[in-house]
Amino acid sequence: MAYRFKKQIFGFMDLLRFKKMINIRREKLMTAPATPLPATYTVNDTAKVLHPGKQTAKLIEVIQETADTKTYLFELSKKMIFRAGQYITVTAKIGESEVTRPYAISSSPLTALKEGKLSVTIKKAGFFSNWMFDNAKEGDTFVLGDPSGNFYYESLKDSKNVVAIAGGSGITPFYSMAQALKEGNENFNMTLIYGAKTRKDLIFRDALEDLQSDNFKIVYVLSDEKVRGYESGFITKEIIAKYAPENYTAMLCGPQAMYAFVDKELDELGIKGKFVKHEANCIGTRDVAPKTYKITVHIQDEVFEVKAKSEETVLVALERAGLNVPSKCRAGGCGFCHSKLVKGKYSIAGADKRRLADEKFGYFHPCCSYPDSNMEIIVPKG
Amino acid sequence: MIKYDAVVIGAGNGGLVATIRLLQGGYKVLLVEKHNIPGGFATSFKRGRFEFEASLHELNDFGTKENSGDVRDLFDSLGVTDKIEWLQIPEAYRVISREEKLDATMPFGVDAFIDKMVSYVPDSRPSMEKFFALCKEIHAAQAYTNSVNGKTDQKVMLSQYSNFVRVGSYSVNEVLKAIKMPKKARDILNAYWCYLGAHCDDLSFIHYASMVYRYITKGAAMPKMRSHEISLAMVERIRELGGDVWFNSQAEKILTDEKGVCGVVLKGGKKIETRHVVANCSPHTVYGSMIDNVPENIVRAVNARKFAGRGYTMFLGLNKSADELGITNHNYFLYDTMDTAKQYDIMKSIATNEVQATVCLNRAYPECSPEGTTMMYFTTLYMSDDWANVKPEDYVKTKEAVAKKMIERFEKDTGCKISDCIEEISIATPMTYARYCLHPQGDIYGYESQYWDGLTPRLMMMSEDHDEREIKGLRFAGGYAMRLSGYSSAYFSGDISGRQTVGDIKREG
Repeated sequence: MAYRFKKQIFGFMDLLRFKKMINIRREKLMTAPATPLPATYTVNDTAKVLHPGKQTAKLIEVIQETADTKTYLFELSKKMIFRAGQYITVTAKIGESEVTRPYAISSSPLTALKEGKLSVTIKKAGFFSNWMFDNAKEGDTFVLGDPSGNFYYESLKDSKNVVAIAGGSGITPFYSMAQALKEGNENFNMTLIYGAKTRKDLIFRDALEDLQSDNFKIVYVLSDEKVRGYESGFITKEIIAKYAPENYTAMLCGPQAMYAFVDKELDELGIKGKFVKHEANCIGTRDVAPKTYKITVHIQDEVFEVKAKSEETVLVALERAGLNVPSKCRAGGCGFCHSKLVKGKYSIAGADKRRLADEKFGYFHPCCSYPDSNMEIIVPKG
Repeated sequence: MIKYDAVVIGAGNGGLVATIRLLQGGYKVLLVEKHNIPGGFATSFKRGRFEFEASLHELNDFGTKENSGDVRDLFDSLGVTDKIEWLQIPEAYRVISREEKLDATMPFGVDAFIDKMVSYVPDSRPSMEKFFALCKEIHAAQAYTNSVNGKTDQKVMLSQYSNFVRVGSYSVNEVLKAIKMPKKARDILNAYWCYLGAHCDDLSFIHYASMVYRYITKGAAMPKMRSHEISLAMVERIRELGGDVWFNSQAEKILTDEKGVCGVVLKGGKKIETRHVVANCSPHTVYGSMIDNVPENIVRAVNARKFAGRGYTMFLGLNKSADELGITNHNYFLYDTMDTAKQYDIMKSIATNEVQATVCLNRAYPECSPEGTTMMYFTTLYMSDDWANVKPEDYVKTKEAVAKKMIERFEKDTGCKISDCIEEISIATPMTYARYCLHPQGDIYGYESQYWDGLTPRLMMMSEDHDEREIKGLRFAGGYAMRLSGYSSAYFSGDISGRQTVGDIKREG
């Protein structure tokens, strides 16, 4: 090719300039200041407040809310904030096992940021919550995880009006939202439809009533008693239509049975797709013939052999064996327990929420997978 | 004591490739990664019905089996190409700039690109032909440079690649003006500048031209299952070769003695003995907090570098098809002005920055989301630390306000209405990137490709930098390394540092 590039009148100047680039750079690198390199940066510091990671927290108060519900108030060791509606994991050492469970945060975002306090509200319902109910006491130390989950108000997606539908202890994230609305940390209109068995089972009732305002209204629906001033029965489309504004996003938190029922009611009201959001529930046991399998587990350079029950998830088997393994949502969605299958078979509870390539390369989520044979797996360190 | 020939810190694009290279060299290698999945930014995440690509807009220099690019050749020699399903990006880009009232859509292929340019700018053909002639020579010079590991023979350079040497010290705009490219053609051609993140008065012509040339001659590719597929394929290959990969295992310290690197300490205290480390992280992080008693000359060299763009990406899952929404293109660049220096300044502030590189993945891969839906991602860069001024309590408000602005901008500039169709939304900010990869200030582009610190001087000084300004036994891979940032560059840096470390081990043990 005949074309020859010349920028300078004398072509050799271009060549000199080219050669000089090394000297210029060397000079810059050698003469920059010797001030010590920063150990951290402002944006990274803010990121640590938004995502503090694991932290130890002291239990400073236990409040009996109802007969079977308690609120646990923690003093945080790290500065943090979260989105109202998010959950956090609580880890305790129970016997030889480190057990972790996710719970919706019941306190407000600014209480965490300004006062360094955070609470979760737990219903006595399973292994961990029973243990908390009977053992956790003021002064005890726990490990809390990163605030997580996407069950919060999204201004660019959701309607300005939210109809919050809570079943029983599913009130927790909405209580946090109601406080956040009051403190100005969130900005939307919330109509809370709160279903419980009886008046005695209504958690946070007085506090919620104090929070009522132009942008926060409450409707109680009692399934097991009829009282004047309260709706009764299930949360039906008639009740929803009676209190809901014209356009809204429905946010649901409660048991699976409530979702099945209320989803149908909402569908008949024309509320569907992006306008219906659910908080995920933890995967429980499955109903199969009891069998015991052997799982070979690789964590870093260590190998363990653990027993697994066919009715329980792989994650539960790992925890029962006292292994320190990662877990967060326990509903298959967050991917935090992402592990590699070397051999063996398993079944996934509910919808497969893995990434496409995970399936292709043999990765699975132990929190939502039941063993169907002996297995060998590679698990990240907890 | 656990002992390895080499430890690779970080399973990002550079770290993954470096690990494979070390294993191919026959050594015992451990890859440690702070997350539970590999890839760093090369990953995906799920929201509802959508699996979003976290960062890859289009993979440069991959090509096809018949017309393979350097990245494909690299992937072939790593043994990963066939583990991944690939698809081709249909067209180069659509650039819209308000100040010039510019709206141009450019194809791949040199002839098609020039023809299209001539249709927009009739008198641009001679300069466009010169541009691609220069590109071709630069590409050949770079291939020669790689083949001799950077130790070029001056006589060969001057006799065979004299144009490379002649343009080598000039910026994009200096060269384009020198070859008399009409302004409008320059405006259209410079659209890719935000991929490198330095403005065209400062950005080295060689760096820009070699990137554009690779895009236009080789097209662009995408893995079907998002970049997570590439990252998992690499891990698969590492395990096939007998390498160890530990997830949720953050390296906290690199230990040194009088001979150089002597070990790595993981979070939690586990210690690994090794004489060789490839760090897929920023020198600022490594020398700022992972190594004690760093020599002063290294501190000075690190302090000299300038952070490049801080990232922001909005991901949208829309509940209508791209056809219904009227979104016709795969890759949009929306600018205020094609005066890139002026644009660069506008991108310093949260209040003023609306620039975006926006992808509609369905236009490359219609099945990437369920029928009747569309998946998009919108990326911008901040050329300052304005996000450092955002308080934690104002964070959500701020990131949503920026997202709203970006949506409005896209709607106005393209005429496509999307704001009513948002089924899923997720937003990554400099805080997200700072947390996820620990990059200082949420920088996603490594050290800026400034005039003095561009691709050519970095490559020419690769050996000197290592010998004079690094701890012995330590090499870097990833976006902060000698090849600068971007997917293909990060892969190449892993290739270079991996192979060089193989050489180090052979020589030094």
